[in-house]
Amino acid sequence: MPERAIRPGRLRRRLTLAFTLAAGLSAAALAAGSYVLVREARLSDSVDRALEQSTFNLVLANDLLADGTGPDQTDELLAAYERRGAFEVVGRTGKRTFSSSLSVRMRQVPDDLRGLVQRGDLAYERVDVAGARYLVVGGRVADADTELYYLFSEDRLFDELVQLRNILLGGVAALLLLGALAGMLLARRTLRPVARASAAAHSLAEGLLETRLPVESADEFGAWAASFNEMADALEAKIAALSEAQARERRFTADVAHELRTPLTALVAEASLLADHLERMPPEARRPAELLVQDVARLRDLVEDLMEISRIDAGQARVRRERVDLAALVPALVRSRRWDGRVRVAGDETVVETDPRRVERIVGNLVGNALEHGVGDVEVRVAQDPAGALVEVSDQGHGIPPEELPRIFDRFYKGDPARAGPGSGLGLAIALENARLLGGDLHVESDFGRGSRFTLRLPVTKPLPHGEPAVATDDEDRERPDQGGTP
Amino acid sequence: MNERVLLVEDDASIREVTSLGLEQAGFRVTQVGDGREAIVQFHHAPFDLVILDVMLPSLDGYEVCRQLRRESRVPILMVSAKGDPVDVIVGLELGADDYVRKPFELHELVARARAAVRRAAEAPDEPVLVRGDLEIDPGAFAARKGGEELPLTATEFKLLLELARRPGQVFTRELLLERVWSYEYLGDSRLVDVAVQRLRAKVEDDPKEPKLVQTVRGVGYRFAASS
Repeated sequence: MPERAIRPGRLRRRLTLAFTLAAGLSAAALAAGSYVLVREARLSDSVDRALEQSTFNLVLANDLLADGTGPDQTDELLAAYERRGAFEVVGRTGKRTFSSSLSVRMRQVPDDLRGLVQRGDLAYERVDVAGARYLVVGGRVADADTELYYLFSEDRLFDELVQLRNILLGGVAALLLLGALAGMLLARRTLRPVARASAAAHSLAEGLLETRLPVESADEFGAWAASFNEMADALEAKIAALSEAQARERRFTADVAHELRTPLTALVAEASLLADHLERMPPEARRPAELLVQDVARLRDLVEDLMEISRIDAGQARVRRERVDLAALVPALVRSRRWDGRVRVAGDETVVETDPRRVERIVGNLVGNALEHGVGDVEVRVAQDPAGALVEVSDQGHGIPPEELPRIFDRFYKGDPARAGPGSGLGLAIALENARLLGGDLHVESDFGRGSRFTLRLPVTKPLPHGEPAVATDDEDRERPDQGGTP
Repeated sequence: MNERVLLVEDDASIREVTSLGLEQAGFRVTQVGDGREAIVQFHHAPFDLVILDVMLPSLDGYEVCRQLRRESRVPILMVSAKGDPVDVIVGLELGADDYVRKPFELHELVARARAAVRRAAEAPDEPVLVRGDLEIDPGAFAARKGGEELPLTATEFKLLLELARRPGQVFTRELLLERVWSYEYLGDSRLVDVAVQRLRAKVEDDPKEPKLVQTVRGVGYRFAASS
């Protein structure tokens, strides 16, 4: 896991983000564009209308001020304007200024605008007067040294533009959210087949060979699911064929071993009879007879080993558990095989619930192997740790080259032919199979040139605490003396 | 010596060499190639031991064992070629005294044959033991319960005698193998377990709740201390 971190949500997030961005950006561009267009149109429209009205106003002023520019005439003009309404007026005639309202004064008219008007142009400019926005249009009444400025309020226009902007912004935000949501759903939907395929591949890897993907759609994912299923079909068929072949092979091994047994039984019996008469044989026949006896023993071991391993392969091996003290079992085994002189056993009482015959088989194979390949004594240590019971078999032999270690438990693996012993080549494989059958395991460590250590680990199934009625017969046995005491 | 052995084995080679080995060890051997013939031969003449292969034509070894046990206490040594140890147990439960797995060394077979014959023949010179309503007469090789003779085989009788001699003492399976079967390291402790089951079936009032031959869990067996 440290070499590459797989985060399943990443692609989905990226897809969601891309979708959201695309939706958001296009909405924003659309909104900004339409805002600018509307704003320009409204502003120039406002200018057009103001100019049109101002032109008319100036014509009116021209008429009214034709007879003079005294206060009476300007008042009359203002009154006429007031009737037209909707704008304020400020004007100057000679040195005198006048205005339609107290809130507007000549100084609020920008100088550059006045400059333009004094030259005789009709001009306009937008100004802020105490927070209110006005469009100021100025013009000159040519005959009567008079400037007139009309202030059209644009507050409403700008309020409307602000409102429009806010609505558009809100719309963009809503679209962004909607886009994110849709993107998420879409990404999930799009990636669901991927997640499903990933789960399916995982369960295939776990050994559920019947796993298939539903082919739901007629798109790329559908095609993908179909070819995934094709692959799974092929895989399942292949594995079925392989395990069938393996089963056939194992059956064959079992059959061969079994069929070999009858002639082998005769051979073994004949060889043991022959062995009794070796001394009385003529010298030229004696050596071959000796060899024959030895080779029959080898053949017997091989067939026995084959039988045992094919029983285990066929799942026919039965485990008969009982309470066993490993520290007692191992020395008894060593004595019975007459290994006393070369094998040292150490360890305190270690009671496990296991099949003693299988433990004997494992330890026997390990010690036999160690004696065969080792130089000097073999040491067997029985111990117990929190993980379980263990039996260590150490030798001071040649050790095992590191490249051979992984194959040491393979069937018929004998390592360097120069160091191969007379064993069947199945001893360690059988030991490992038996260890697993007992719920334990077998490991090897080796220091090439110095020796090897095989460690058998066995689970300690805790025996029932004493005094608890576990088995009917046990109960009976304990009750018996009491019954005897109270007749 | 000169004990008579009925050797039942269908493979001619094995039969011949086994017979040779047994004869060299001092047995008188009658060879038989199938189960039915074995029953016929057994009725024809007395035998001190039957060596019985499991896989036989016409009548298999189990069936022969069952039929022989119905009428005789003769020691039976089963020879099993089958791989599965359960087959061995089946033979023992049918009343065989011991078993040998194929392929076997002749020495082993001869040793077991001798031990089986000895178990059946040696009558210990001991007084009659009385344990409750159980009477064990070593001289007559017979046990009675409530005055009724129990149909024990020689091995079962020896096992009962061994246990009943010292009521209350716990015997490990290994010790019983050594004392009853006279094996050291050779035997399989299941011989003891199966023989105890068979003994209980004949001796106990209720074999499912044994009162006389008790299990000492994790150790072995004992005869109930006298009540």
